[in-house]
Amino acid sequence: MATRKNDSILFRWIKGIIHNKKALSGSLLVLSFILIAAIGPYITVDPNAFLDTPLSPPSFSHWFGTTGQGQDVLAQTISGARQTLIVGFATGFFVVLIGALIGGISGFYGGKVDDVLSMIINIFLVMPGLPLMVILASWLPPGPLTLTGVLVITGWAWNARVIRSQMMALRDRDFVSAAIVSGERNIRIILIEIMPRMLSLLASSFIGASIYAIGAQVGLEFLGLGDVSTITWGTNLYWASNDLALLTGSWWTFVPTGICIAFVSFGLTLINFGIDEVTNPRLISERNWRKYLPKGKGNDGITPVIKTHA
Amino acid sequence: MSTSIQYLLRRLGFYAIAAWAALTLNFFIPRMMPGDPASIIFARFRGKLNPEAMVALRETFGLTDEPLLGQYFTYLKNLLSGDLGISIAYFPQPVTEIISTALLWTIFLAGTSLIISFSLGTLLGTLAAWKRGGRLDSFLPPALAFFGAFPYFWLAMVALFTFGFGLGWFPLRHAYGDAVTPGFNLPFMIDAIYHAFLPALTMVMVSLGGWMLSMRNTMITTLGADYITFARAKGLPSKMVMLKYAARNAILPNFTGFGMALGFVLSGALLTEIIFSYPGQGYLLLEAVRAQDFPLMQGLFMTITLAVLGANWLVDIAILFLDPRTRR
Amino acid sequence: MKDKTFKMFSFHCVHQYILKLSSAVLICFILIFNNCVQHEKTTGSPPFVISQEQVSSFVRNFNPLIPSGSSRWPTVSGIYEPLFIYNSMTGIYVPWLATGYEWKDGNLQLDVTIRENVTWSDGQPFTAYDVSYTFNLKKTNAALDPRASWGYLKSVEAINDHLVRFKFLRIFVPGLHALTEQSIIPKHIWENIDDPVKFTNPNPVATGPFTEILRFDHQIWELGRNPHYWQEGKPAVERLRFYAYPTNEQATIALINGEVDWAGNFIPAIDRVFVGRDPENHHYWFPRVGGSIFLYVNTTKQFLDQVEVRKAISLAINRELIVRVAMYDYTIPAHPTALADGLAPWRSPTATENGDWVEYDIERANEMLDNAGFKKGPNGIRLLPDGKELFFDISIVSGWSDWIRAAQVISQNLKLVGINTRVKTRDFGAWLSSMQNGEFDMGIAWTEKGPTPYRLYRGLMSSEFLKPVGETAEVNWHRFASDEVDSLCVAFEKTSDKEEIKQIIYRMQEIFVDNAPAIPLFAEPSWGQYNTKRFTNFPTEKNPYAQISPNYPPENLLVLVNVEPK
Repeated sequence: MATRKNDSILFRWIKGIIHNKKALSGSLLVLSFILIAAIGPYITVDPNAFLDTPLSPPSFSHWFGTTGQGQDVLAQTISGARQTLIVGFATGFFVVLIGALIGGISGFYGGKVDDVLSMIINIFLVMPGLPLMVILASWLPPGPLTLTGVLVITGWAWNARVIRSQMMALRDRDFVSAAIVSGERNIRIILIEIMPRMLSLLASSFIGASIYAIGAQVGLEFLGLGDVSTITWGTNLYWASNDLALLTGSWWTFVPTGICIAFVSFGLTLINFGIDEVTNPRLISERNWRKYLPKGKGNDGITPVIKTHA
Repeated sequence: MSTSIQYLLRRLGFYAIAAWAALTLNFFIPRMMPGDPASIIFARFRGKLNPEAMVALRETFGLTDEPLLGQYFTYLKNLLSGDLGISIAYFPQPVTEIISTALLWTIFLAGTSLIISFSLGTLLGTLAAWKRGGRLDSFLPPALAFFGAFPYFWLAMVALFTFGFGLGWFPLRHAYGDAVTPGFNLPFMIDAIYHAFLPALTMVMVSLGGWMLSMRNTMITTLGADYITFARAKGLPSKMVMLKYAARNAILPNFTGFGMALGFVLSGALLTEIIFSYPGQGYLLLEAVRAQDFPLMQGLFMTITLAVLGANWLVDIAILFLDPRTRR
Repeated sequence: MKDKTFKMFSFHCVHQYILKLSSAVLICFILIFNNCVQHEKTTGSPPFVISQEQVSSFVRNFNPLIPSGSSRWPTVSGIYEPLFIYNSMTGIYVPWLATGYEWKDGNLQLDVTIRENVTWSDGQPFTAYDVSYTFNLKKTNAALDPRASWGYLKSVEAINDHLVRFKFLRIFVPGLHALTEQSIIPKHIWENIDDPVKFTNPNPVATGPFTEILRFDHQIWELGRNPHYWQEGKPAVERLRFYAYPTNEQATIALINGEVDWAGNFIPAIDRVFVGRDPENHHYWFPRVGGSIFLYVNTTKQFLDQVEVRKAISLAINRELIVRVAMYDYTIPAHPTALADGLAPWRSPTATENGDWVEYDIERANEMLDNAGFKKGPNGIRLLPDGKELFFDISIVSGWSDWIRAAQVISQNLKLVGINTRVKTRDFGAWLSSMQNGEFDMGIAWTEKGPTPYRLYRGLMSSEFLKPVGETAEVNWHRFASDEVDSLCVAFEKTSDKEEIKQIIYRMQEIFVDNAPAIPLFAEPSWGQYNTKRFTNFPTEKNPYAQISPNYPPENLLVLVNVEPK
């Protein structure tokens, strides 16, 4: 019975997204990049090969020109998508997982558990992210695993806080009380009763965290803290700056990558707009939750629970 | 009033714990890094290592073989007395001296752009929500979201090379020109603003959208509240309803976000500083990491954390004045 | 209710205040744009702008004794001066604060005559007692003696005002080089300093051409002429100016814009980027006076421990491509003896002939590996005797982009001969400790430098620095030792006879070429750019009175005293 109901929530939700113009165009944008990341490397030339005169402008043989080392920029842009997106979405996934776990437990149980957990959440929240990221990233061996780890460590707290507030709101609702009275196990209540109702929040948290992860990852790699011998969007920009692309007027070495990053983030933001617009009218009693939605980088959202962790 | 003081003290207590956590992290992370700073200095020298010189230098840096816990307490004790140790990269300069001026510039740049972005974003958000579906509301959010999608440093790079290098409208580096002397004088202040303009602009561009949207969204929720309907029904001028009734309440959550955002804005400022050669903490941090300068790294991380915590506390005080609920 | 009105009022005030503030800011900008013109006041001759250090902000430190990097350039050679300057272009020791030296007592004693009529910048006379004080201060403060001069010195004593006597614990002729390069400090100032290791020496008293700190800010500082300089009429330049450029990119922008007169930066595509902007005034010169850059292979690892394998790896490397892709054709592939242009006169004809393994010959490399018994497996990768595929990491410091590019080329090359490799970038500290401890497979790194090839070959092949894996070796990271080289080193250290030295060096080269303990890649150029718009008399290829790069103290002193305003 319960599953059936949840299915229909999910179904209605997906239908709503498809009918929302913003969400649809955002999804298409993001999906096309995922497609490029998946099949791109099989259809381009070897992005590592030193092919032509360095820094030659776009031409027929190299649509996006060549890098400072004579590699094909188009091939590099396409193969850079893969690791960047994997790290971005993996971070988004783990951030939401940890956020749901800690925030959910904290919000559901309340009391002492909440005191301790929300204290930890708040400590991570006020700690400045980038310096911590830079220090961690320079200490760990460079690579996608390190990047994901560092981004998760510095990024989970925001989602935990948002999910905690939502959990606290749902915890007091009748259907939860009813489930508790009927003797259902807490785990079951959380997973079966509450989580499906948080679907759109989790989805938009995932998207917000992925946006943050893509931006921060590119930033770290640009500083040379990633593995610069692999090809990602961040290392593409690192090399462009290293080869003084702008000084030599070779805009083609950094514009495609920058635009790609912006398009992916923008596409994700559009999806979030869509989720926001679709979910809000239906969840009338939760009208306030609109406030929780991470907008853009997830840093500027707000939360109404000012007093609770004082 | 005593409850307000209690509230502020409680917050202060929390910040103290947060600061302690940050400082502890700050102590342990660099110590887990491989490599020994003294030998790195010599390696940079690319010459022969003299074991005696190594021992002597290690002592100077306070790198002893004491157990970690002992070192930890010495570290806390030194911090309390304001001693952040000696920088390795800038040996033998004390870390406090290196950081102090850099911190001021970072706060100036990040603070200015945060305030501009916050006030402008809140204002635009208010207007957009008031005239929902209007031109402002339908055009600006996607446009700003698009700008917000670019990495900070990428926009900074493009801006620097277009307006600085290409067109020559803005200076290419530094916080003030060579001709002015730092101090409380008009030419210096104007020059400082001139130098901060482009970096601040790129930071405002990227972050404006977030503020505007969150203000717009809370404002829309607030506008649905009964008291707004009542105020309108009473026939109050719409500008008054918008600013004094709706915006005043909607700004509260946005304001909480202000304190939180400071950490992020500082992070963004650090990257922007590196691009614009702005003499703040950003490049210093990168340098410290590259040189494995533990003391400097720790000092930077600590000052940035404390700055964020301090700003959050100020926001708490401000909220106390703006939101009567906290004073109950 | 009263409370409420107060709040409403305050909010209203804030609102108005913001409006006022923003209009004030706007007015400010209008002022600025009107004020946009250059406000540089021109007083006297233009400053000589040098870009050598890349820092975000300057720290006032002029202590010449602490290891480089902490004190401002040119503290060690510009503010302070050494006894002699080794000129790598001419190969001779230029007498500076000293006028001559003489080995005595079977090379156990060195007498150095000190120049007369030299004064410190505060007017006090400079004597041999300052020299002996400097060396003895390094003895009492081991942290100031990173090169361990006191490992072979017994005593340093001023005999009279103009004679210093160095006594050696053992015969060690190459020690001369380090002694001559020591910056000399004034006894009458430093004897009052409590801790010379932590002393930042904010107002230096020195003998050099530039000693007066005219201005010191975090972003900019200026160094003025020494009023008492001992070289009549020099320096011709009135003051030096330094800007804080935090990145190579920023330093390059300044150079391109003509704001910098002298620099030692790495600039990609320099002909187009820099020279192209002003071909008449923008110049560069990259003489190959440094050492060679090597691919080190860990000779303790299976497979890499075989001479034929190392030679085959070397044959598989396309050095032309590395030089083009990673070095922008600024240098040339390495000579078989690994001796770059600066040391070219030392090259042995026999070794040059035998060192045919630095050519690019994939076919021969494959053949040699086949003969060595490492057959290709199903994936085209060669197998170890136990059937495992060959796989090695090439370790590079993260951010050292030219070497990362070189490693990428090598990795692609080695794949062609059936060796699988991965370019692994690591932080400097981690990289260095893995290299020093012998916990690496392959890595690109520098070599020891010196006026003769002795230091190079000693570092590559002598057992003096050989350490077991896991222990820190200062050089010889690849862990190779030859008894014959050891005895050659001893012979070298004891002799000052020119012909004998030459024969020793020749033999060392032959041993190097036969054993391929490390694989030379390309010569290390020294970077130097200059702008002749305001200043002239820089060293050039036609007038090579010194090397142009400011990065190699104390040689940069030769340029500082000879550059002239136009």
